[in-house]
Amino acid sequence: MSVKKRLQDVFEQTGSLRRAIVSILLAMVIGALIVYLQGDNPLVAYTALFRSAFGSRASVFQTLANSTPLIVTGIAAAITFRTGVVNLGVEGQLYMGGLAAALVGVYLEGVPSFLHVFLALLAGCVVSFIWAAPFQWLRVQFGANELVTTTLSNYVAILLTTYLVAYPFMKPGAPLAMTKNVLPSAYLPRLVSQGRLNLGFIIGAVLCVFVWYVINRSSLGFEFRMIGANKRFSHYVGIRVKRMQVLAMGLSGAAAGLAGAIEVLGTQHRFIQNISPGYGWVGVLVALMASNNPIAVLPVGILFGALKTGGLGMEAATNVPSELSDVLQAIIILFFAANVVFPSLRKESVLKKKHAEIAHPEEV
Amino acid sequence: MQDSYAIELLNITKNFPGVLANDDVTLQVKKGQIHALVGENGAGKTTLMNILYGLIHPDSGQIRVDGRDVSIRSPRDAIGSGLGMVHQHFMLVPSYTTTQNIFLGNEINRLMIVDQKQAEREVQEISEKYNLLVNPKAVVRDLPVGVQQRVEILKVLQRGANTIVLDEPTAVLTPQECDELFVIVRSLVADGKTVIIITHKLSEVKAISDCVTVLRRGKVIGTVLTKDVSKEELASMMVGSNLPSTGERKKLDPGEFILKTKDLVVRDKFNTDVVRGVSLSVHQGEIVTIAGVEGNGQMEFVEAVTGLRKVFAGRAFVCDQDITNLSPDKVRQCGLAHVPGDRIATGTNVKASIADNLIAGRHRQLPFSTRGWINSKEKQKFSQDLVDRYKIKTPSLDVRAKTLSGGNLQKVVAAREMSFDTPLLVVVQPTRGLDIASTGFIHEILLEMRNCNKAILLVSTELDEVFELSDRILVMYEGEIVGEFTPENVTREELGLYMAGVKRQSRAESES
Repeated sequence: MSVKKRLQDVFEQTGSLRRAIVSILLAMVIGALIVYLQGDNPLVAYTALFRSAFGSRASVFQTLANSTPLIVTGIAAAITFRTGVVNLGVEGQLYMGGLAAALVGVYLEGVPSFLHVFLALLAGCVVSFIWAAPFQWLRVQFGANELVTTTLSNYVAILLTTYLVAYPFMKPGAPLAMTKNVLPSAYLPRLVSQGRLNLGFIIGAVLCVFVWYVINRSSLGFEFRMIGANKRFSHYVGIRVKRMQVLAMGLSGAAAGLAGAIEVLGTQHRFIQNISPGYGWVGVLVALMASNNPIAVLPVGILFGALKTGGLGMEAATNVPSELSDVLQAIIILFFAANVVFPSLRKESVLKKKHAEIAHPEEV
Repeated sequence: MQDSYAIELLNITKNFPGVLANDDVTLQVKKGQIHALVGENGAGKTTLMNILYGLIHPDSGQIRVDGRDVSIRSPRDAIGSGLGMVHQHFMLVPSYTTTQNIFLGNEINRLMIVDQKQAEREVQEISEKYNLLVNPKAVVRDLPVGVQQRVEILKVLQRGANTIVLDEPTAVLTPQECDELFVIVRSLVADGKTVIIITHKLSEVKAISDCVTVLRRGKVIGTVLTKDVSKEELASMMVGSNLPSTGERKKLDPGEFILKTKDLVVRDKFNTDVVRGVSLSVHQGEIVTIAGVEGNGQMEFVEAVTGLRKVFAGRAFVCDQDITNLSPDKVRQCGLAHVPGDRIATGTNVKASIADNLIAGRHRQLPFSTRGWINSKEKQKFSQDLVDRYKIKTPSLDVRAKTLSGGNLQKVVAAREMSFDTPLLVVVQPTRGLDIASTGFIHEILLEMRNCNKAILLVSTELDEVFELSDRILVMYEGEIVGEFTPENVTREELGLYMAGVKRQSRAESES
């Protein structure tokens, strides 16, 4: 019994990691089945997937490049989730921040490169902060559920930015709605000679560590954690819960805006309509799977980035379509969220057993 | 005769973290009787009924229905064994009609289509049979509370309940509605049903029940026939117990007043006045106790004073500053610390570490925080110091608070709040669920603080505690102060009568 109890403790402490690993393995099994039913060899498909994601130096760089926006949006979502707030407007905030950064990148001339980059990134953060925070203010002041308002805010943000780049800021003669290219002084430096990997990844990685540090070691983070764990207690000990939640939403928006800015300054070099294929939404899933731990956002983001990179490579090498990556990603999240693993070691079932012992003592 | 019992709960024990909610409780209810289950809130009544209804699983014990052992794992099992429960807070869909609510989840189907007409006819039938008059087509939202309760009872009857549990059924009713309810209950019993009523209102026990079981601190104090016992005897069974005396009391002249309220009125979310014009003051070097059976507005009063709840009318002052409707952080700045009655949801953050719980509220002050960063050395030092001083039993400062027992959790709250060293301390039920040793310890600290010239407002339902600690005793009943005493000029029994609402001082009397 005591061994079992100790095992339970271990599982409770490493709960998320164990859940993550088991979810991934289960997803791979189901994915293999799908590939097999389609008439392909799962082993070959997975080998191709893995090889394209991690097989060479170039593919690793590609994976990291693909994971960059997922990591930064993952941080954005994690900040609010830690504070008991739900920000589902990450996608729209990414658009707002991306456009702000692009405008600074295009129209601000004659400043040194590092300053130009810095100001463009800052613009992305500030604009999205200002865009995001009021939704939480509406929540704490009037009770408008931020889950709904931020979700709807995506439409407003995406359509608004699309309008702006389709009319006022449109690059003349372009085939799609897009801004002019940002000036080279606003480019995020590339880290490798080939491929898209740029300073944005480093920024994302540093952000993970920084946010972790703030949440765990600062007075601000202390309040965020307390509010996230017990709002009533926080209010009672004198934390200004409403104000802090508005701030958390703003900071989350700022991180989402940073993701947009990095995408513009590091990869696209302009703001273009449909700039994000749903990075904000994947970011929410990344945060979910990282259990809102900023440090864990980094590996989870890389995992999802690798799935994307590997999927494309797999499609090129085999008959299996790259959409399998999305399927795998969805199954992983599903299992992770459903918490189906090791049911016998979960507390509730221990209770049930105990109850059975009481009800039928002679059988046990 | 074994088989004459409708329901038997035998040797039920249920331990919640830190609180022994039911300690070897045995309750036997005879068929066709009205059995009252009384005790203060926190005595374990609701836990016991939730066990019976399958919402909570006991650690040990046995349930029998009609003399047969049954295993009740969920409300579904309970309903299957002929049990019905009417909760204190109704579980109705406001936008549905009476009939839709009664048949919710249990609709009469004809060719996949809900047969509303048939259902309405059945509602009409049962409601006439038991005198439970309702309009089958009325929308529940538009019905008065008393009628909503009838809908709940009808729902239970429709599902074939033989034994009906009413949890605090009169809490939300007007006196007239109560009388109507009692008529209904009698007609149920006349039809062979068995009724269990959970309450802490003794006059109702006398008015309606055949048999009473008294619970206190999770234990059965006794089961008696209602006709053999007086209200006064029941009151002392509910609240009495003996504790070792601790601490000494310095003779102090009361100093200046620290807390003062003037005609404070507080409303609950149903817009009823739960605190009805309370004026009191607490001076330096004085422990003023608000005694009373729980649920008479003490909690709301304290929450209003500490900033956790809105004041509807009247004013409150701490150290000469008007704190009416200030937020908790502002109230604390005026010099108040607060040990709330609910230590798990309000008093601590059970998901955070012991150290985090102990420095909460100071996390922005020097030396715990410098330029916005938590100074973990200072945090550890301060927390360790409190853990040692208050003898908090914990394996380390970094374990989550939820691993602590109730007594130790209470010490965490007390340690944090008392270390603020404020002129005023508001303490609610500081020893609920604690063992004798921890209780004595908390009492000692409170007396020590009093001797250091602090003003202390204590809210307690335990008469022993009230007599042990108070310099002045105020009795609160239905949101009003109905009596003011010093421990020397009142007896335990007399206080019990005031707490039960049997007696009250007139205004002039209490001011003299």
